[in-house]
Amino acid sequence: MEHFLLEKNRLNEFLSALRNYEVFAPVRKVGLTVFELITNPKEAMLDLKNQPQSPKRVIFPQSEILLVFDKNNAAKEPKGRVGQKPQVVFGVRPCDARGFHMLDPVFEREYPDPYYLQKRQSTLLVGFHCSEPYPNCFCTSVGGNPSSPEGLDILLTDLGEQYFLEVITSKGEQVAKEGAAVLSSPTSQQQTEKEKLSGMAPQKIRRTIDTEGIASKIEKHFDHSLWRELSGKCISCGICTYTCPTCHCFDIQDERVRGRANRLRIWDSCMFPEYTLHASGHNPRPTRTERLKNRMYHKFKQNIDLYGVPGCVGCGRCITLCPENVDLVANLKVIKNL
Amino acid sequence: MTENPYLPRRAKIESIKQETTGERIIKTFAVVIEDQAYRERFQHKPGQCAMLGINGVGESMISIASSPTNKEFLNFSVMKLGKVTSAIHELEAGDLITIRGPYGNNFPLDEWYQKNIITIGGGIGQAPLRSIIQYVLDKKGEFGGLDIIYGARTTADLCYREDHFQTEQSVFWQRRNVRVHLSIDVPEAGWDRFVGVVPDNLLRLKPSPENAIAITCGPPVMIKFVIKNLLALGFKDEQIYTTLENRMKCGIGKCGRCNVGSFYVCKDGPVFSYARLKNLPEKG
Repeated sequence: MEHFLLEKNRLNEFLSALRNYEVFAPVRKVGLTVFELITNPKEAMLDLKNQPQSPKRVIFPQSEILLVFDKNNAAKEPKGRVGQKPQVVFGVRPCDARGFHMLDPVFEREYPDPYYLQKRQSTLLVGFHCSEPYPNCFCTSVGGNPSSPEGLDILLTDLGEQYFLEVITSKGEQVAKEGAAVLSSPTSQQQTEKEKLSGMAPQKIRRTIDTEGIASKIEKHFDHSLWRELSGKCISCGICTYTCPTCHCFDIQDERVRGRANRLRIWDSCMFPEYTLHASGHNPRPTRTERLKNRMYHKFKQNIDLYGVPGCVGCGRCITLCPENVDLVANLKVIKNL
Repeated sequence: MTENPYLPRRAKIESIKQETTGERIIKTFAVVIEDQAYRERFQHKPGQCAMLGINGVGESMISIASSPTNKEFLNFSVMKLGKVTSAIHELEAGDLITIRGPYGNNFPLDEWYQKNIITIGGGIGQAPLRSIIQYVLDKKGEFGGLDIIYGARTTADLCYREDHFQTEQSVFWQRRNVRVHLSIDVPEAGWDRFVGVVPDNLLRLKPSPENAIAITCGPPVMIKFVIKNLLALGFKDEQIYTTLENRMKCGIGKCGRCNVGSFYVCKDGPVFSYARLKNLPEKG
């Protein structure tokens, strides 16, 4: 596919040129940056290496209406994305792009989920190569790469004053066409520079874990007393699941507001006791120990059984953002060494 | 875009029967799906479940307590416990409810041709077993004997009481090798059948494992001891079946919470052979 050069000081012009798309980018909001719809390219905050929340929410929102109930209490589907502009998510990191590959089979298989699939099919991902990974990044241990185009439609590499722009898919080609006026051709020197950066990136990942054999270790030592120690610090806050690009668990709740009623899908967390609580009062995962173990089991055993890959892209958010320093990589190493 | 799996259909409640008057009230609802096309497509097999709901309140996964040989209506036995089941208990005959499904796997009845069937139920655990019991009674020629072992805490907690008594007393069914073995946990005046817990009744009855399939459903602790006793009676792992339940929201293997090991109970269950169940890391 084609290669272009985008001058950094013309980035806003490039984003403005994408008139046939709704553009999502990291936006500063109450001290956090989150991926949101932007109307002005100046809103895009591209200074962070990665955002505390993954772009998962653009396609799988924290809360969305599944059904609307009319006056006669009959269920109707909301309009959905039919007839709307396609979406571009700008500023996606390679790990988060792979995160969508982990979500896809959950929502595609057996009972295709129209809410996820409509948005997924009409959304393009424009990503940034990671030249300076975070200290807790471990994507290379779970099949990722900080300079990988996997799952992206366009990949940008920071060359200092310019971005090296690679078109990965035909969908990405359409975006490049719209912004063609501000794109130029890279020199062979810039091409070489880009390749050098791509080659160097994986070596900058500081945390590693050999995940070979972890699945069988988790299963073999399912009743080991060590799980209690590993979960000792956990406070069941759920931040690991809310920031995870591959967590897909949700709750369904009906809400009534001023005589109108909706059925909503809301992110849920396997860290909460209510998640598995039966109406009878029985809870198959009553303590933090069963819940933390289940999360690791889901990511590194169940996901492999179901979809052939671990349900983790190594973004490191659950480690960085955990208020109690529960460390997934360290925990995996403990299990591995059992 | 393909069909929306979350869109429920309306069903009319034809009749309601209050099963229990004990501490936990169970009502059995007979419902008919309104939309003809959906009704015809809704071909369940014994063991499967469906999402029942009330728009604006929520949905609950409930076992289908009637056999597919019954073409008139679907039965659901609902215990009044949480928000949704309490709201369902408020409904009356003629009211509308929502339904989607059927969900989950089923009992492998095709593999049980001419086998002796033994059902061992406790409390509301008899609901999924009732789909099998009715099926076997309707297609008795395809099966060997049928032993219905069922118990509850008190007579007020026994589900499908009249049905069970009728089958128990019926000379027609006795001649066809159908036996009913009821029990209650504590003695009551006028009760001349077994008093004690279901696993003990099973040990007393000593059904033969020869050419037999045992299916159990009830509280987790009951299932545990029933399986232990079946193994002691010589039943092999692959002769023992149970149905599991877990909290569910989607019913289609996406919302995450009902997993037991790598299986989702809603989609890969609720029916598990003990051969499959015993290798799972947690038992629900």
